[in-house]
Amino acid sequence: MTAIEVDGLVKGYGGFEAVRDVSFSVGEGEVFALLGRNGAGKTTTVEVLAGFRRADSGTVRVLGLDPARDRVRVRRRTGIMLQEAGFFPDLTVAQTVDAWRDFVAAPRPRDEALGLAGLDAKAGTRVRQLSGGEKRRLDLALAVLSRPDVLFLDEPTTGMDPEARKNTWEVIRGLAGQGTAILLTTHYLDEAQRLAANMAIMDGGRVVASGGMAETLAARAGRVAFELPAGVAPEDLPVPVASVEGRTAVCRVEDPDLAAQTLLGWAGERGLRLRGLEVRTATLEDLFLDLAAGEGTSPKAEVA
Amino acid sequence: MSVSARDLAVVARFGGRLYWRDKVALSTSVTLSLGLGIGMPLLTDRLRGGAEAVLDAHLGVLAMIVVIATFNQIAVTLTARRDQLLLKRMRSTGLSDRDVLGGEIGNLVVQTTLLTAVVSVALYATTGLPVPRDPLLYLVAVVAGATVLCLLGTAFTAAVPRTEVAGVMTLPFFFLAGAASGGFGPLLEMLPGWVGTVLGFLPTGAVVDLARTAYAADGTLAGDLQAAAAPLLVLAGWALLGVFAIGRWFRWEPRRS
Repeated sequence: MTAIEVDGLVKGYGGFEAVRDVSFSVGEGEVFALLGRNGAGKTTTVEVLAGFRRADSGTVRVLGLDPARDRVRVRRRTGIMLQEAGFFPDLTVAQTVDAWRDFVAAPRPRDEALGLAGLDAKAGTRVRQLSGGEKRRLDLALAVLSRPDVLFLDEPTTGMDPEARKNTWEVIRGLAGQGTAILLTTHYLDEAQRLAANMAIMDGGRVVASGGMAETLAARAGRVAFELPAGVAPEDLPVPVASVEGRTAVCRVEDPDLAAQTLLGWAGERGLRLRGLEVRTATLEDLFLDLAAGEGTSPKAEVA
Repeated sequence: MSVSARDLAVVARFGGRLYWRDKVALSTSVTLSLGLGIGMPLLTDRLRGGAEAVLDAHLGVLAMIVVIATFNQIAVTLTARRDQLLLKRMRSTGLSDRDVLGGEIGNLVVQTTLLTAVVSVALYATTGLPVPRDPLLYLVAVVAGATVLCLLGTAFTAAVPRTEVAGVMTLPFFFLAGAASGGFGPLLEMLPGWVGTVLGFLPTGAVVDLARTAYAADGTLAGDLQAAAAPLLVLAGWALLGVFAIGRWFRWEPRRS
C-alpha cells in the first residue's frame, strides 16, 4: 500500500520556488531516499509532507490524508526527525522522553525508546550536556516513540559517530521490516545506498533522477582507477581515461571488471604495474557528481 | 484543529514543571510579583495605615504583577521556544496547535493565580487588608484577567523579532498597567482626564475594576453582577482581539530571512 504520495508538488517562498513539480511515492515498509545538495528543496518537501507548510499546488497524501488539513490525525501516525529542532536543555534525557510520552498516544516504554536509540547510558544526563550525535539519537528516540506508520528522517545521522550511525541504520531497517514507510534525506550517499530501495535526486527544486537504487546504479558507468605508470600517457591506454586526478587515472566504463582485465593484460604485456588499482561499480556518489557536473543523461533521467 | 482536555492538561503540567526550573521565570515572574505584590501594600500599611489605602496599593500592584506573570512571561517563554524551534518540535507530536498554546496559557494562569493567592494571604496576615466580600468574584478577576493577558502576550510574540529583546519589548506594558492602575501612586491625577479614560480600557483596568467590586464593602449579588458586567465585557473584547491576532499573525518558527 502507498503510504506517501506526492504528485506535482510546488512550494515557494516569497517569489522563490523551492520545490517545482515533484512527484514520488513511498510504500509501506519501504525506505525512500530523497537526495540533493543544500537548497535542493528536500527539507521543504519534508516540511510539506509533515504538514508544517501547505503546498502551493499539487497533491500530497500521507496515509491517504492531506497533511495540511488533517495535520493532527497525520501527526499521530507519523514520526519526524527534524533537521534542526531544539530540546529543553535543562531536562534530562529520561525526562525529555517521559514528557514526550505524554504528548503521543500509546507510546513505547521509555526504556525501549532509549534502548532503540542507544541512549540507555545517558538517561540521567541533561540534554545540554549531550554531544551533537547524542542529540540526534534523542531525536530518533522521540520520532519513534509513537510506533509511527510513517517516519520522516531529515539528515538522521549527521554528527553521529560511526557506531551510532550503524546502530541507527539497524533501527531504520528494523522499522521498515515492521512495515513503517520511511522517507530519508541525507548527505551521506553511502547511507542512502545502504538503506533505500528507491530514491529521487533533487536539484534546484526539481527531481533530476529517480528510480530503484539497484537498477539506477546498474545502469550507470562503473569506475576503474589506478596510478598512471611512469612514462605512460593517458592516450596510450587501451581503455579511454575519463579524468586524471593527480597521478591517478580514472576510467568510467559500463563493465568495470572487463576494463580492469583489459588494462591488466595490457600492462602485463609491457611489464608495467598498475599500482593502487580500484575497480567498482557505480555508486550513488558517482551518479550524484555526474548530475552535479551537468552530465546527467537528460534533465530528468528516469530509471524505473 | 481540535482541543483535547487531556492534551491541554498534559501541556500545562509540562509547562508548570519547566516554569519552576526556569531561573529567569523565578527571578522575574515569581520574585518580582511576590516582592511588589506584598512589599508595596505592606509599606503603605506601615507608613499610612488604613484599610482603604492598603486596598488601593494592593489593587494598584495587582495589575502590575498580573502583567509580569502573564503577558511578559508568556511573551518571553513563547518567543524563546519559537526561536529554539521547541514549538516546532512540540507540533511534530500529535498535539494540536491549540493544545500547545492553550496548555502554556493554562499553566501561566494557574501560576499567576497561585502567586496572587500567596500575595493575598500574606497581606491578610501582615496588614489591615480585609478578605474580599466576594472572594469568587476576586478569583474571576484574576483568572479572567490572566487568561486575557496570556492571549495578548501570545499574540504579541509576532512583533518580537528575537528572544533577547522579548523582555525589554514587554516592559512598556508593565509600566502602562502600573500607571493606569495606580501601582506607581496617583500618577493619573497629574495627567489630563482623557488619559485616564483611555487607560481605563486596558485589560488591567478591567481586572482592577472587577477586584475592587469584589472588595466593595456593601453590595448585593445583583449589584455585583451589574458592576462586573462592564469590565467583563472589556476583557471579552480583548480576548477576542487576542485570539484573532494569534490566528492571523502568530509565528511558530523564527523568520528565515
